[in-house]
Amino acid sequence: MPMPDGRHRLGRSAKAFATDPARPLRQRRYRTPLRDERLAAWLGAALGVLFTTCFLTGLFSHAHQHPVSWFPVPARPAGLYRVTQGVHVAAGIAALPVLLAKLWLVWPRLLSVPPFRRLSDVVERVGLLALVGGGIFQVWTGVANIAQWYPWRFSFTASHYEVAWITMGGIVAHVGAKWAVSRRALRRPSRRPRLAEADPVLGASAEEPHPGLSRRGFLATVAGAAGTLTAVTIGQTVRPLAALGVLAPRDPRQRPVNRSAANAGVTAAATSPAYRLEVTGRVARPLTLTLSDLQALPATEAVLPIACVEGWSYSARWRGVTVAELLRRAGAPPGATVRVESLEADSPYRASFLDHAQAADRATLLATHLDGEALSADHGYPVRLVGPGRAGVNQTKWVTKVVVL
Amino acid sequence: MPETPNHHRGPGFWLATAAGWALIAWGVRGALLHRIDTRPPQLLRFFVTGLALHDAVFAPAVLLAGVVLGRTVPARWRATVQAALLVAGTAALFSYPLVRGYAHILHNPTSLPRNYTAGLAIVVAAVALAAVIGRLLLRALRVGRFVR
Repeated sequence: MPMPDGRHRLGRSAKAFATDPARPLRQRRYRTPLRDERLAAWLGAALGVLFTTCFLTGLFSHAHQHPVSWFPVPARPAGLYRVTQGVHVAAGIAALPVLLAKLWLVWPRLLSVPPFRRLSDVVERVGLLALVGGGIFQVWTGVANIAQWYPWRFSFTASHYEVAWITMGGIVAHVGAKWAVSRRALRRPSRRPRLAEADPVLGASAEEPHPGLSRRGFLATVAGAAGTLTAVTIGQTVRPLAALGVLAPRDPRQRPVNRSAANAGVTAAATSPAYRLEVTGRVARPLTLTLSDLQALPATEAVLPIACVEGWSYSARWRGVTVAELLRRAGAPPGATVRVESLEADSPYRASFLDHAQAADRATLLATHLDGEALSADHGYPVRLVGPGRAGVNQTKWVTKVVVL
Repeated sequence: MPETPNHHRGPGFWLATAAGWALIAWGVRGALLHRIDTRPPQLLRFFVTGLALHDAVFAPAVLLAGVVLGRTVPARWRATVQAALLVAGTAALFSYPLVRGYAHILHNPTSLPRNYTAGLAIVVAAVALAAVIGRLLLRALRVGRFVR
C-alpha cells in the first residue's frame, strides 16, 4: 500500500539512525581520555617530521640510482650516502609505532555519521585515502624490503618512489586541513580550550581520573617503542652498536653482500683465465688487461664505506688502481664521464656511471683487495669499483669494462 | 551532537589541498609512466589492501584487545600492561618477516644472519622487565603523571 508521506518517513528514519545513542558502531563508544586533539597533533607532528625526513633522504637516494645532469651527486664527504640512507631506514622504522598510534587514535572518525556535511569534508576525506594508504604502503614495503621479503610483483624501488610523492601530497593536504586545530591544541595550557569544548564526542571525559596510561604516558610509550626499534636495528649501520642489533637484518661485522656471485651468474666468467678488464670508448689507447696486469700497476689504498639502500653499511680498506690512473694510461680526454660495466648480465645495476669529478677522485678505485686480502667472489672478484659517497648499487662488482663516454 | 567536526576552512585549506593534490598527481603520473616496473593494477590492489587490512582487521583487533585488557587486568597494573604490549607488539609486527626468514630463499648467508626468534624473545623479555621496574620505580617516587 503506497505511503503518502514516504519521503518524510525515510527522513525521520535517517535522523533517528544518526542520533540513536544505542546504535552499534557509534563514535561515543570509543571515548577515551587518550583521544584528544593535543595527542593527535603531537603524533601528527612527529609523523610529519619522520616522513619528511624519509622523503628528502629518499630523493637523495633516488638521485644516486637515477642520475640527473642538474644534480651531480657529491662524492664528498665519503660517508654521506651511508648517513643519509641510514637515517632514511631508521626514520622509516621509527615511524611504524607512531603511525599505528596515530591511526588508533583517529580510527573512530571512520564511523562519523553523517560522513560529510560540506564539500570540504569530502575533499579532506579523499585526501586522507592518499595519506593513510600511502603511509601504510611506505612503511610496510620499506620494512619488507629491508628483510628482503617481496610478497608482490611490482618493482620495489619504482613503486616506493612514486607512492612517496602520493604520501607527501596527502601530508601537505592534511596539514592544511588541520592547521588551525593543531595550532590551537598545541598552545600553552592557559590558552588552550577546555577539552570538553575541544572534542565533545571523543575527549570530554579526559579530565576525569581513569585507569591506564595517561596522555603523557601514552606519548612516552610510543616514543619508547620507536626508541626500542631503533636501538635493536641501528647496529646494522652504526658499527659500535652492532652487538645490540638483535633485530637488525644485517650484521656489518660480517661485511654483508646483497647479491652473491652465484645469484648473479658470474662465477664461471669471473674465475675464468680468459677474464679481461677493457678500457674503451673515447680513448687514444684502448687497454685490455689481465688481473695480473692490473695488479702490476701502481696501487692506492682507501678506507671507504659500502652503504646499501636497505640502510646497512660497513667500512673497509680497499686497494686497487685508481680510475684516474687507468684513464690517463688509456689517453682519455680530460673531464670525461665513464660507464663501468659488470660481468653480470641480467640486472638493472649491471652498469654504473662516474661523472668527471668522481672519475678524477683520488679514492675512486678499481679494487682487487679488501682489508688486505684478494676479493672473494661474492665481494666482486676479480675487480670491484669502489668510490667515495656512492650508493652500494653503484659500487659495481665483477667489473669487466670501463667505457669513456 | 554532530560527530563530524565543524572546523573552519579558509583559503589556506584550499591552497594546501591544491598543492597536496599536485604532488599526488605527480606520483600517480610517475606510476603510470613507469608501469612496466610499477604494475599499476597490482600496486593499486596492494595499496587498497593495506588500508583495508588496517581499518577492518588490525584496528578492530587492537580495540578488542583493549576491551579484554580492561576486563582482565587490575586497574593498578593496566598502564604497565598497556605500555609493555604496545612496545612488544610493535617489535613483533616489525620482526615478522625476519622471524619467518623469507630472505633465506636467496641463499645469502649475510642476509638475516641472526636467530630472530631468539632476538624477538629477548626484546619482549627486556620490555616486560623494563615495564615492571618502571612501574615500581614510579610508584616508589610517587609520580602520578605517567600513570593514574
